[in-house]
Amino acid sequence: MTFQQFAFNNVKRNKRVYLAYFLSSVFTIMVFFSFAVNLFHPVIASKSGGAIEIIMGQTEVAILVFSFFFVLISVNAFLKVRSKEFGVLMMLGMSQKQLRRLIFLENMIIGCLAIIVGITIGLVFSKFFLMLLSSILSYGSLSFYFPYKAILLTTAFFILIFLSISALTPFIIRTSNIITLLKGAKRPNREIKFSLIQSIAGVLLFGLGYFMALSPQLYDISPLLDKIVLFFENIQYAEAILTTSVVIGTYLFYSQLSILLLNRLKRNRSFYLHKTNMLWVSDLIYRIRDNTRMLFLVTILSAVAFIAVTGVYALSSVVKDESLKDNPFALTYTSYSSYVNEQEQINRIEEMLESHGFQYEKYKSEVIKQVSDDKRVTHIIKQSDYNNRASALGLEQVVLDKDQALLVPVYVRFDPKRDKTLSQKNVALDNGEINLEVAGVAPRVIFYSGLFPNLVVVSDETYKKLTSIQEKYYSYSYDIPDWLNTLEVTEKLREELGVGEHGKYFWSTRIEGYILENQNKKLFLYVGFFLGAIFFLGASSFLYFRLYTDLNQEKNKYIGISKLGFSFKEMKKVASVQIAVLFFVPYILASIHTYFAINVLQTVLYSSVIKQFLVVIGVFLILNIIYYFSVRSRYINYLKRLIVQ
Amino acid sequence: MEILKLNHIFKIYGDKVQHSALQDINLTIEKGEFVGIMGPSGSGKTTLLNVISTIDPPSSGEVLLNGENPYKLDNSKLALFRRRKLGFVFQDFNLIDTLTIGENIVLPLTLDGQKVSTMDRKLKEVAARLNIENILKKRTYEVSGGQAQRAAIARAIIHSPLLLLADEPTGNLDSKAAKDVMELFEEINRETGVTTLMVTHDAKSASYCHRVIFIKDGQFFNEIHRGDSRRKFYQQILDVLSLLGGEANDLSAICL
Repeated sequence: MTFQQFAFNNVKRNKRVYLAYFLSSVFTIMVFFSFAVNLFHPVIASKSGGAIEIIMGQTEVAILVFSFFFVLISVNAFLKVRSKEFGVLMMLGMSQKQLRRLIFLENMIIGCLAIIVGITIGLVFSKFFLMLLSSILSYGSLSFYFPYKAILLTTAFFILIFLSISALTPFIIRTSNIITLLKGAKRPNREIKFSLIQSIAGVLLFGLGYFMALSPQLYDISPLLDKIVLFFENIQYAEAILTTSVVIGTYLFYSQLSILLLNRLKRNRSFYLHKTNMLWVSDLIYRIRDNTRMLFLVTILSAVAFIAVTGVYALSSVVKDESLKDNPFALTYTSYSSYVNEQEQINRIEEMLESHGFQYEKYKSEVIKQVSDDKRVTHIIKQSDYNNRASALGLEQVVLDKDQALLVPVYVRFDPKRDKTLSQKNVALDNGEINLEVAGVAPRVIFYSGLFPNLVVVSDETYKKLTSIQEKYYSYSYDIPDWLNTLEVTEKLREELGVGEHGKYFWSTRIEGYILENQNKKLFLYVGFFLGAIFFLGASSFLYFRLYTDLNQEKNKYIGISKLGFSFKEMKKVASVQIAVLFFVPYILASIHTYFAINVLQTVLYSSVIKQFLVVIGVFLILNIIYYFSVRSRYINYLKRLIVQ
Repeated sequence: MEILKLNHIFKIYGDKVQHSALQDINLTIEKGEFVGIMGPSGSGKTTLLNVISTIDPPSSGEVLLNGENPYKLDNSKLALFRRRKLGFVFQDFNLIDTLTIGENIVLPLTLDGQKVSTMDRKLKEVAARLNIENILKKRTYEVSGGQAQRAAIARAIIHSPLLLLADEPTGNLDSKAAKDVMELFEEINRETGVTTLMVTHDAKSASYCHRVIFIKDGQFFNEIHRGDSRRKFYQQILDVLSLLGGEANDLSAICL
């Protein structure tokens, strides 16, 4: 047996341990490779610099970073279990250099195999992924090509990851003290204490984070609460504080709060002393303490996975709502009053719409732009034009006195309660010659998002009196019920009219925004789904490794209690409860985190995403349950073999 | 020729609350000797063996193995030293689970980068001597404790070490297997002349040695030599153990 064979045998005959690690690596590499195939596709590569390249590129980086930590943590867990073996080998005269070489060889065997298998599976599926991507991007068909660049990139990066982890191993296992290595992972079981202050801090941090996430919805309940909400909103980097406090809170939950809760259970003597409860409660305290970092990591990874998937799913399902809000009208054409071809173009648009069989309503408005001496731009529309549009949009009609004005938001995502630009009490027009009192704020955008900032509605009478006119526009908005099919006609019109000319005219359609958004969001869905899958798989693998790592210690305990007369059934129950806690507590906590994170998202989206949240959480729950049962059955089978002996 | 020489070995543990595990131990072992070390629990037997095994440096004093102080070597040279000069047998065998019995036995040669043909030849020799040829292809979990310990002994002597160190080699075996293993040690010592040092609890096992050294509370207590009769030697060992005091019962209980 040569040294290489030795390393090879170690891997070959340890299949059970390495399988989960190997499969997760294969999956990660496969996803990385598939993204690389997409990224380097001649068609995509030729459109470099676009959103697609950025999104896909960042995904690649995220997968790479995740892979590094995944491999590091897995290798770490495996090396810890084997510390006794390493101790023996060093007693037999293995030098530190040889030990490093052994670990390196083992890593490289697994790594290279994973790279080969991952790329092969990736190649098999690459046509499928390309099809998926081309349908998302509506690029027609992305043809299959031989992705040598992607193969090179994947191989290079992952070899680099496995190499650098191998270089880190001396820091993971301390080879200098053979005696400690020989004693193995056995730690003296000390009494586990918790700090009350840290437990309270954990609760407070959770509270803070969750409150900040909910705060936009708590507005307008009581004046005191409003002040607190506004205070939080004015904090800079609020998102960072929110995330940090929840992350630290999660850590404290596992390291302190969980121990506190279990100690509570212990004090409830009628519960604690009932049958097997004593066994799993007391054991769980040690397990949670020993696994604090792992549970923490699994929770955060799961939360990231849940949030990513819920987020992209929600985004993609609200995209129609969003375009409707962004563009209340299917088509809006605006021309400067000085532009001579206005009527000609309007006729052309209407001819085109009619020739394609579209029915439409037209709403025409006149808008005046004023620029005051202090360079403040105001756009003004008269009450009759506003009411005209309002009726089309189903908004309330307004009646303004000659000294009254109505403000109109310019962006969809405005919050009437707190938006500063819409909270002014008075409006000055004609450089202060006309002063109007603000009578209210329109509930919605009436042209399209971004057009005519500082829009003010005044009575027709006041409108006529305006003298300072910087610019005058005519805006025609078309309400087309069948707007979802207007892409073809829009493209034809774009050929004729272009995007517009500064100082002459410009026009915008809902369908173009919808298609673009839809594309981006489908791409996000595509990416988010994979990231979520990788992170969740990684989190589950960590749990599996840990259970496996602990098994050596656990088995002695189970053998011991079986001698005391514990039936296999009771042991099964104890093991099931413990594994269930390790599997489902992170899941539940991650779901709660996701719920609050989704609340933040909801304030941005202005649509309810609770349904999507429940779907995603439900799917992950099913996955988690399947995973739980398969791990539990393996674990219990293993115990059974031990006990029967 | 002196294979092992310990000069005034002290070993002190702890920083604030100091506890001395070994106090002024002196010991000389000649080539070809088979020496046992006995003592009650906590007497420092294992610490002493660790110091000799080059894995636990003494707080003061000098360890000379074949006239050389291993603690003056750097890590990689020390590893080489262990690989070529020492052989270890453990209480719980410590075979590597991923390897077959045969592969476990040649492991020291593998680490030394020797030729496969050399490995095969030496494996054949040692397996024949230990009568374990039929289990070489088996995995560690497929053999009995006695067989596992035989394999471990084979692994410890395949490279013809200068000094064979055994830590409670019969501790995990039943009395029949323990007897076989001790006879094997005796035979190997007689036929190959390998110097052997063994730590044990068990008076019966110790009675196979040429000489038994007793330590108590980290200090040298007594030393007895074997005469012609192993039975008589066994009785002498039991007498010394009872002299060691309170733990004598505890020890005799173990050897029964």
